Amino acid sequence: MAAYRLSADGLKSYITEIELPMRRAGSLPGVTETIFRYGAFVGSVITHYPKLDRAMTHARGHIAVAEQENRSVANGTTIIADYLTGSKGRFTRTWHAPAGGLWGSIIYVNTLLPRSRLLLPLAVGVACCEALRDSGAKKSVIRWINDVLVDGLKIGGFLMESFHGADSGEEFFLIGFGINVNNMAFPDALKDLATSLSRHLGHSLDLEIFTYCFLAKLQWNIGLLYFEEEHFSKEGHWLRSGGRHCLLDRWSELSDSVGKQVVFGFDVVKKPQFEAKVIGISDDGGLQLSLNDGTVITEYSGEIRYI
Amino acid sequence: MSNEIDFDEILGKYRLDPYNYVDIFSSQTGVVNFKVEKGNGVEAPGGEWMHIPGTALYQITRERNPKIVGSPINGIVSELHAELEGQFVEAGEKLMTIRHPLKKKEIIENILQEVLYLFPAPEKAKYFFSLDIQARIEKKGARSVIIKPGEEIFTMSLMKRDTPVFYNGEQGAIHSIYFKPGISIDQGEPLIGVCALEKLPLIQKVITRVRAEWDNMS
Repeated sequence: MAAYRLSADGLKSYITEIELPMRRAGSLPGVTETIFRYGAFVGSVITHYPKLDRAMTHARGHIAVAEQENRSVANGTTIIADYLTGSKGRFTRTWHAPAGGLWGSIIYVNTLLPRSRLLLPLAVGVACCEALRDSGAKKSVIRWINDVLVDGLKIGGFLMESFHGADSGEEFFLIGFGINVNNMAFPDALKDLATSLSRHLGHSLDLEIFTYCFLAKLQWNIGLLYFEEEHFSKEGHWLRSGGRHCLLDRWSELSDSVGKQVVFGFDVVKKPQFEAKVIGISDDGGLQLSLNDGTVITEYSGEIRYI
Repeated sequence: MSNEIDFDEILGKYRLDPYNYVDIFSSQTGVVNFKVEKGNGVEAPGGEWMHIPGTALYQITRERNPKIVGSPINGIVSELHAELEGQFVEAGEKLMTIRHPLKKKEIIENILQEVLYLFPAPEKAKYFFSLDIQARIEKKGARSVIIKPGEEIFTMSLMKRDTPVFYNGEQGAIHSIYFKPGISIDQGEPLIGVCALEKLPLIQKVITRVRAEWDNMS
């Protein structure tokens, strides 16, 4: 069991002391506080368990109980466990979640417009990649949509599920996250595909600090979605006039997908569909692909593997 | 969903005019430039994953961002609002009509759609059957799978966000499947056609009658 207890107050302190000054010195200095205010719900409640079966299942149960008792669920509630006993990835894939990693889920009540909502999965990948780079893994990159890799090995992955509350009718998004931080051993099926931050750096990290760092990045990047949405509604253009959405710019800086030859599939492991070259990302986060016959298409659902 | 079908009237209608007329509306606001003329033949999207766009119908430009829109179906441009050339249009403005020649299979499907309950796609996304439904389809075949209101039947996937989709029609068997896993479906397009068990004989009658008569009609 971890020797620390994660808390919302701990996250606030981290943001005040570390993240906020760093962002003020960054590329959007005049609007830093506004963006953080928009994203402040992330981690508004943090519950930290020694172990869970699946954090996503626990989050669903938390919502169901609250609805039965006619209570609202705090938006941004974050559920974290030291390790998971029944974790899984997309489809029927296994996800190894032993002690030492960062495993959990966030309950998000959707209030974004559809155009911004499409970018939410990108914001999660950006937050993870930024946290890894700030922690020393400077070569961390994003593979569309939001897989995070270092030296070609997966280090962070995300699941997103949505559903409507049975009683409230609220649209809940569950953002599941798994980041290999201090876990060193991987099962045979994953050992050539995955790595961890400590493996990559050659030393372990303070998992409490890393967790706050990731959540602080998430506050910022989700806040950016709301900020840009409001800016566009008022001004008719994104913050950088004539430019793209700030989050897309940041995603593009951190991703190595553009220019890569890839295999694409809805479930690319089990059913690869076709090979193509990634030529860009559309304004709504879609993957622009050039096929071997010269056709250009944009995909909004599916996954890629580099060839 | 009707219980009775006047076959002579319906088949007579298709005999007289064996076409579907598909109206094409502007996909967004912007300035329109047509890429076709009235009378031109157009092709539907093609390729193994329907990834090759249909014939370019028009270009729409908003904020110096041009977008080419392809034909969703094959046929002939039977009507064109040429007066809109170079004009700014709102989203949803009718631009043209494509006359699509129907095949026997399409006529059967058109008639069946008057009998079946059509479950529409809630969003433009990719869909796949829920694990339970998929297992039942693989074991018994779709037409033996009975679905009930409130049952989780699909997972909708968009930008790596998976959403369960619950059935809200009347109880029945999955008669027709209109989607392929891995191919995007537009919002509102039917995903499946569901048939109440007592209507299965009527469905069979539709299929048999059209198959028997269509060759003589065309």
